Amino acid sequence: MPDRFHILIAEDEVLAAMALEDFLSFKGFRVTVAANGVEALERYASERVHALVTDLRMPRMDGETLIREIRDRDATLPVVVMTGYLTEDSDLKQERWKPLEIFSKPVNPRTICTTLHRMLGITLEA
Amino acid sequence: MAVGLEELLDTSGFVPHGVCLLWRSDILMLHVASDVLIGLSYFSIPVALIYFVMRRRDVAFGWMALLFALFIIACGTTHFLSVWTLWTPDYVLEGLVKLITAFASLATAAALWWLMPRLLALPSPRQLEASNRALELEVATRREMEARYSGFFNNLGEALFIVQVLPDGDFAYEAINPALARIGGLDPDRLRERRVRDAVKPELADLVIPRYTACRDSGKTIDYEETLDMPAGQRVFHTMLVPVKDAAGRVVQILGSGRDVTERKRLQEEVIQTSKLATLGTLAAGMAHEMSQPLNVIRLWTENTLTRLHDNLLEPARAEKALRLVIEQTERMGKLIDHVRMFGRRDGGGMQIFHPANCVQSAVELVRHQYRQEDIDIVEKGWAAQLAVSGRPLELEQVILNLFSNARDAIVALRAKGGAAGRIVVAVSDDPDGYSVVIQVTDDGGGIDPAVLPQIFDPFFTTKEVGKGSGLGLSIGYGIIDGMGGRIEARNVDLEGGGRGVRFTITLPGQPVSSVDREFSHA
Repeated sequence: MPDRFHILIAEDEVLAAMALEDFLSFKGFRVTVAANGVEALERYASERVHALVTDLRMPRMDGETLIREIRDRDATLPVVVMTGYLTEDSDLKQERWKPLEIFSKPVNPRTICTTLHRMLGITLEA
Repeated sequence: MAVGLEELLDTSGFVPHGVCLLWRSDILMLHVASDVLIGLSYFSIPVALIYFVMRRRDVAFGWMALLFALFIIACGTTHFLSVWTLWTPDYVLEGLVKLITAFASLATAAALWWLMPRLLALPSPRQLEASNRALELEVATRREMEARYSGFFNNLGEALFIVQVLPDGDFAYEAINPALARIGGLDPDRLRERRVRDAVKPELADLVIPRYTACRDSGKTIDYEETLDMPAGQRVFHTMLVPVKDAAGRVVQILGSGRDVTERKRLQEEVIQTSKLATLGTLAAGMAHEMSQPLNVIRLWTENTLTRLHDNLLEPARAEKALRLVIEQTERMGKLIDHVRMFGRRDGGGMQIFHPANCVQSAVELVRHQYRQEDIDIVEKGWAAQLAVSGRPLELEQVILNLFSNARDAIVALRAKGGAAGRIVVAVSDDPDGYSVVIQVTDDGGGIDPAVLPQIFDPFFTTKEVGKGSGLGLSIGYGIIDGMGGRIEARNVDLEGGGRGVRFTITLPGQPVSSVDREFSHA
């Protein structure tokens, strides 16, 4: 794997963030965790980030606002959304937000991982 | 010197009175005819008088009429003797009869004067007639009133009864109305004047006597709901007892009315159930989020652990940590599920005596986490209620949740308009009067338009946009609080920080926990 892709996780549920961080680190990613949208945006501004994995409902700036802010700065950053809500009619399903993938909680970290691989154009040797 | 009767009646030496008239036949005839006519007339008067007194037994001073009769007979006799003495000179006899007449006249005259004030005091027939007319009017008015009130008593569908408080403090039925007789399968005539314990079934007596006692001892109107076994099945009554006191302030009678609210209760419960489902619906979105969180944690940790296990990189300490986390998260979910399960239950449990603070607490816990996600804080203040209340805990919780949900919506709406809000203050305390518990929920969501404030408890009234609110929440809440004998009010308040909000105040009557008067629902 091209060394050390940097993934920013925005998730307020500490235990979930911790497990995902652990999993993605185990799979070779460099991971930074932010507890809310504001913190995530600060991290994004100060560090080079290759992909964003975010929750939608968070205190202090929700996921949708965060994505909007990031899309203003970077139209091609891969975004993975994890949500506890039904998202059938979500605005995030629109083409203009792509590259963006939505997963309902509970999420499978392996799926998150392979999605990130795919979005980042990483090919793994069999 | 005694004079014998013989000598008195001795006529020798006298001449008949006719001599004085020179035996002129025309003058004799004039005297005889006149005296006889006068005598006969006089004799007929006492007969008439006695006849009158005998027929009208209620004549005042009847003895006076007898005295008159005696006097007139004596007068008549003197006239007959005048005729007699025209030919027979019995002047002594005539004198004696005149003497008797004199005494009778004197007595009658004296009695007449003596009686005069009292005779004058006797009402005249005209006066009697006037007072009769007044009495007739009075009777007619009273008849009309009687008809009106007995119409009330006999025709109202409400069960009415009058209980007499006996000198020994026990209770007896004085009357029951046909509605009560019909509902209760009771016979009004058999019940009358009988002690309550003897008149009705022991189970019924055990239920009602403590109520009558409470009314008698407090001297105050009391009202309550009771479930009674009736021939038509179990019925719920809203009963009111009103004490009637004598001049000394002792309760001598209890007026009772009972309204059959079975049907209303059933409908109310149905509507509550519907709204509970509606509340459950709005809660469902929050619940989905709440459930997805622990599930997500579980999934992530198990996948994590499994991956490490496959790669032979799993340390026992890490495995243990993961498993413990999984267990914790299942417990968190279990609590949520329990709550939703209870919330959806149809009967909602029976009437209980419970501490309302516990209800408020579990309502707070149910939404606190969800609200925190939206940056809304629930602040608990003054958790000092000691008194218990009577009702269904889950229903009260539903009311509190509804208030929270309204507060949240107001806060979100105010934020959308650029305002700063995000604080819901909830307080439970005993009222200073010591008889009730007060629950207050205050938000900082900007307040309610004073023009619509009076309508907010009306069914289907909502300030929210279409699809956001059924407009039933507060009206159901009102019904539930009313059913618990309490009240709920809303008003706008200015908050310390300068913001504005709505404060809902629920006041519930306190119940001593040890009360023997516990009510159980048989439904």
